[in-house]
Amino acid sequence: MNEPMDIAFRLNGRPVELTTDPGRRAIDVLREDFGLTAAKEGCGSGECGACAVLVDGTARLSCLMLAAQLHGRDLTTAEGLGRPDAPHPIQTAFAVHGAVQCGYCTPGMTIAAAELLARDPAPDREAARRALSGNLCRCTGYVKIVDAVLAAGAALRGEES
Amino acid sequence: MLDDGLSPMAGGTDLLVPGRKAAGRGVALLEGLPGLDGVAMTAQGLRLGALASLAALERHPVIRERLPVLAQAIACLGSPLIRNMGTMGGNLVTASPAGDTLPALLVLEAVVELASRDGRRHLPVAEFLLGPGRTALGPGEIVAAVRIALPPPGASQHFEKVGRRDALAIAVASLAALIVRDEAGRVVEARLAVGSLAPTARRCPSAEAALPGRRLDREALLEAGRRIRDEISPKGDLRATAAYRREMAGRLPLRLLTLA
Amino acid sequence: MDADRDKGASPGAPRVDALDKACGRQRYAADETPPGCLLAGVKRAGIPHGRIVRLDTAAARAVPGVVTVLTRADVPGTNRQGIVHKDQPVLCGQRVRHHGDPVALVVAENKDALAAGLAAVEVAFEALPAVFDPEEALSPNAPLVHPDREGGNLLAHGLMEKGDAESALAGCDVVVAGRFATPAQDHVSLEPPNGLARLAPSGRLTMVVSTQAPFRDRFEIAQALGLDPQRIRIRAPYLGGGFGGKDGATVQCLLALAALRLPGRWIKMAWSREETFLAGYKRHAAVMDIRLGARADGTLEAIACAMCFDAGPYAHLSGEIMELGMEHAGGPYRIPHVRIEGSCAYTNNPVGGAFRGFGVVQACFAVERAMDMLARRLGRAPESLRLQNALRPGETSAVGVAAEPGTDVAACLNAALAHPLWTGREAWKQAAPAFTRRGVGLVAVQNAMGYGRGLPDHATAKLELTRQGTFRLYNSVPDMGQGNAAAFVAMAAQALGQPEAAVACVQPDTAACPPAGSSSASRTVYTFGNALLRACRTMAEKLRNRAALALLCDTPDRLVLTPGGVSDPATGRFVPLSVLAGFLIRDDRICIDQFVMPVVENPPDTGREFKLGFPHRYFTYGACLCGVEADELTGRVRLVQCLLTVACGKVFTLAGVEQQLAGAAAQGAGLALFEELALEGGRIRAGDLSTYLIPTSLDLPDIDCLPLPDDEPSGPLGIKGMGEVGIHGPGPAVAQALFDAVGLDAASLPITPEVVLAALEELTP
Ligand SMILES: Cc1cc2nc3c(=O)[nH]c(=O)nc-3n(C[C@H](O)[C@H](O)[C@H](O)COP(=O)(O)OP(=O)(O)OC[C@H]3O[C@@H](n4cnc5c(N)ncnc54)[C@H](O)[C@@H]3O)c2cc1C
Ligand code: FES
Ligand code: FES
Repeated sequence: MNEPMDIAFRLNGRPVELTTDPGRRAIDVLREDFGLTAAKEGCGSGECGACAVLVDGTARLSCLMLAAQLHGRDLTTAEGLGRPDAPHPIQTAFAVHGAVQCGYCTPGMTIAAAELLARDPAPDREAARRALSGNLCRCTGYVKIVDAVLAAGAALRGEES
Repeated sequence: MLDDGLSPMAGGTDLLVPGRKAAGRGVALLEGLPGLDGVAMTAQGLRLGALASLAALERHPVIRERLPVLAQAIACLGSPLIRNMGTMGGNLVTASPAGDTLPALLVLEAVVELASRDGRRHLPVAEFLLGPGRTALGPGEIVAAVRIALPPPGASQHFEKVGRRDALAIAVASLAALIVRDEAGRVVEARLAVGSLAPTARRCPSAEAALPGRRLDREALLEAGRRIRDEISPKGDLRATAAYRREMAGRLPLRLLTLA
Repeated sequence: MDADRDKGASPGAPRVDALDKACGRQRYAADETPPGCLLAGVKRAGIPHGRIVRLDTAAARAVPGVVTVLTRADVPGTNRQGIVHKDQPVLCGQRVRHHGDPVALVVAENKDALAAGLAAVEVAFEALPAVFDPEEALSPNAPLVHPDREGGNLLAHGLMEKGDAESALAGCDVVVAGRFATPAQDHVSLEPPNGLARLAPSGRLTMVVSTQAPFRDRFEIAQALGLDPQRIRIRAPYLGGGFGGKDGATVQCLLALAALRLPGRWIKMAWSREETFLAGYKRHAAVMDIRLGARADGTLEAIACAMCFDAGPYAHLSGEIMELGMEHAGGPYRIPHVRIEGSCAYTNNPVGGAFRGFGVVQACFAVERAMDMLARRLGRAPESLRLQNALRPGETSAVGVAAEPGTDVAACLNAALAHPLWTGREAWKQAAPAFTRRGVGLVAVQNAMGYGRGLPDHATAKLELTRQGTFRLYNSVPDMGQGNAAAFVAMAAQALGQPEAAVACVQPDTAACPPAGSSSASRTVYTFGNALLRACRTMAEKLRNRAALALLCDTPDRLVLTPGGVSDPATGRFVPLSVLAGFLIRDDRICIDQFVMPVVENPPDTGREFKLGFPHRYFTYGACLCGVEADELTGRVRLVQCLLTVACGKVFTLAGVEQQLAGAAAQGAGLALFEELALEGGRIRAGDLSTYLIPTSLDLPDIDCLPLPDDEPSGPLGIKGMGEVGIHGPGPAVAQALFDAVGLDAASLPITPEVVLAALEELTP
């Protein structure tokens, strides 16, 4: 246990503050203190990507981040990308293209996809596969996930898919 | 630079993995310390801040253009998420025999810039790496940057990692090469380094000595491979047997046949 | 109704669960953490076999934040869990039989206290001799895993015989013999096993568990802990993957025990990835000896196969898995003389259990490899030998069951042969880049559906018209990701003429839903779907009749359900469901119906010893093509092409079929090339995700799925189960492709670079 620390950051667009042990894992802070459970723990050691969140626009693993590292950051979880009644185009594309099976990898996948499409609005399948290669999925074989990322790219570019 | 007993932390992708070194112990975030981030062009070449993320380095235009061996090595390290967080400084200080950037840094003859409250010093990467998990980092010292002189534009650079899968794979063996040839295609200078084949990533001087004056043909490369095999001391583990690793040492140079 | 059978679900409509999941809003069991919830964890053996000589929990109890520490002495009831055979202790009292065996249960207020408490449990063992090889385990002098057990380490044994295999083999023009092995495999569901429990003051035990079989769990818990199953309520929210690994007790009994001792408190247990490797069930490793004989013209005459499965120390479903493997050992081929012998041995390895395609993955690898050997001996192309012997409808299978009508395995093979990946294969191989060799393989697969004869494969479906005039269906079979909940919604919506949004779905809850079998065995949509469609039919008829009163219509049959109401096409009049619902009491708004899968009517006596689960009536067929690239310098193999053709009845949604097939193929590809637990003395050396490698997005090609026109009249809307059939092909197809590419004749999986390199050495000295 460390001395509690005041931590202030933006979470899904809103400023938040908490006082906590700065050595706690970011994933625990999100799930336990904020009740945001989109970030999942599939391994706790960086190998699966299920815990990915956007930190200042970059996809990072919340299981390998400390609470202290949240301070001053702008954090987005899958809950912050969109809601079922107002989904992000990536979330829509995942649903429409059958990219969601058990769905446990999905929030992390959408986060990785969001970073990719911000950087490369028109990736090809190979680029999408590369960008998602830190996110394990045991259900899908990835084909429809790649379809969804490409379709989301098209939607974000304003093209018909 | 640092208080005693705390582990400096950059990306945390080694430090925070449960069961590794300091998981749970006190850490000091390096984030935000001045002079540790970014890539700068200097008179001597490039200065890569120790805290620059591997992803930023991988995408840096000058690194892609002039240090492809490093760009390739980074591109196959961990996964995009790991590269978003992990840093070059962390990869160096972790000093894993399988550290992916290390063979590339060795053939680039990179120099590690170390900083402490007492000042700065510089060490070639080969002298910085002492053993598995051991470096020349002194108490209270941190890695501030890595300095790399740009190799001649005509030099061929090559990196290959053998892993059990195409992402998230720790190297079973790796080879970095930097080859300068004359107009006739004869080797002027050859630098070769391997990963996962010895207690640290290392250069292979005897194999390097076999190439100057020759073309990169099958014979020459097999000879280099034979010599690498004699220079290394691979171990067997879950990922591969020692015999397979030795086999890789002998074979990987053949890929240089595809260098035009 | 019949017109509906051809419709399928509305194309392109996403699964009803998809958007919530994509938005991170779906709550899995792991996401439930009631305020004040305690955490439970298990101290595990860490040795393969031993006697507990000392177990001291005093230090652990003294750790601040530790609430209680429980041992065998605290367990009421039999302390034995198990699906069929109850031989697995909830907590070990005297003896541990594998590394993951539980010896103490610690409950604490937070993670740190739990970790400290677990570390402070003092346990000492006297090591006992252990056995790790299933064949060795069956030798007379092997250490006994259950010393008092009659039968020693032989957990199960069986024979399936048709004709006279030995004499027929003696008379064959060619006989090939081989020994094949498949490894243990971990499910790696992304959500590890976990759950919550609380004992209410009323004495009712409530649990939320990531489980595939909530109804059966109640009985397992009740028996192990001496409770009344009727006092246990289990909810199974959407699972973050299961694949068999959550079929059978994981956290259930331990959580229930903790709850009994700490009444009124919520208690949560969530296994880490490492604990899941250590303690979770695994696909059984198996060794198979095959002799396969044919006439010179390629006609199969006889097969003799001995299969030996490594059960680990507890039975789980080993006997049933062995049975299913044996039933598939002859492949989807016509073979007159058959002798399949199966045995299952107790060992001190991790516990064998259910895993997608259980028993069949093993059998299929062996028989398909034997077919390749035979083809080579006969100088025949592997695909032509398969086509020649492919089982046709009406013919009897290797174990003597008549194949049902419908699209057959030959059609699946032919569809693959007509595909560009096959027709273009020579050109593709020629175009291999430097240092790369390419090869293509094509195999035939099959998978039975359901529990088989003797074990009623049943489901009961409940459908409710709400007061608001919408529908609520009570799903009794957990959705572990296969999409059955969404399929049920789509089926009900279609049968009731409503938009999907008008059909809500309650996830399995033993207090609200009628019982059904587990989420397994390619049965979920078939069995529950049939029950649901019956309930929908009754509901529709009821609503037409009630509407007839309101619409003054004397021929209710002419009325139709239309979105939100019932209409009379003759008059154009319409009565809203909300109005109808207002007139009905709740009991009248509910329809419950059931279904039991039909079984083989006159079972052959080929497997007479098997009282339960033999034989199966319905099979899904398929063919699998794999194209591989082997690197000449490293021996690394990449799967770069994969095509699955299947006959799985009608296609309800193409996306749903593709999801199941591609996902299964990905797991098959993992088994073929990567996944290896690296057991050593019963210890899993590759016990985390950095060492146990499953395919990433860069390790798999775009898997092509081609369901063929087919119809299963007994299925809901003509469908058959197809959740498993896709997993079998990649192992043997990759092996065949590697023979094509580098002349490697692999007899075991996974195929490592080292083995490939050795084969390459022989080609290029
Ligand atoms: C899933 C996964 C996959 C991985 N795959 C690979 C792989 O394929 N190849 C590979 O090479 N590595 C791999 N790694 C290891 C790791 O990602 C790399 O070594 C990375 O470069 C570490 O950087 P970091 O900034 O995260 O280091 P940290 O975890 O922050 O630190 C690592 C060590 O370096 C010290 N340190 C860090 N920065 C400094 C500094 N500037 N000065 C002094 N000391 C410092 C720390 O005290 C610590 O001892 C993987 C890790 C994970 C979790
Ligand atoms: S939980 Fe963070 S990478 Fe798996
Ligand atoms: S959808 Fe289940 S892990 Fe990806």
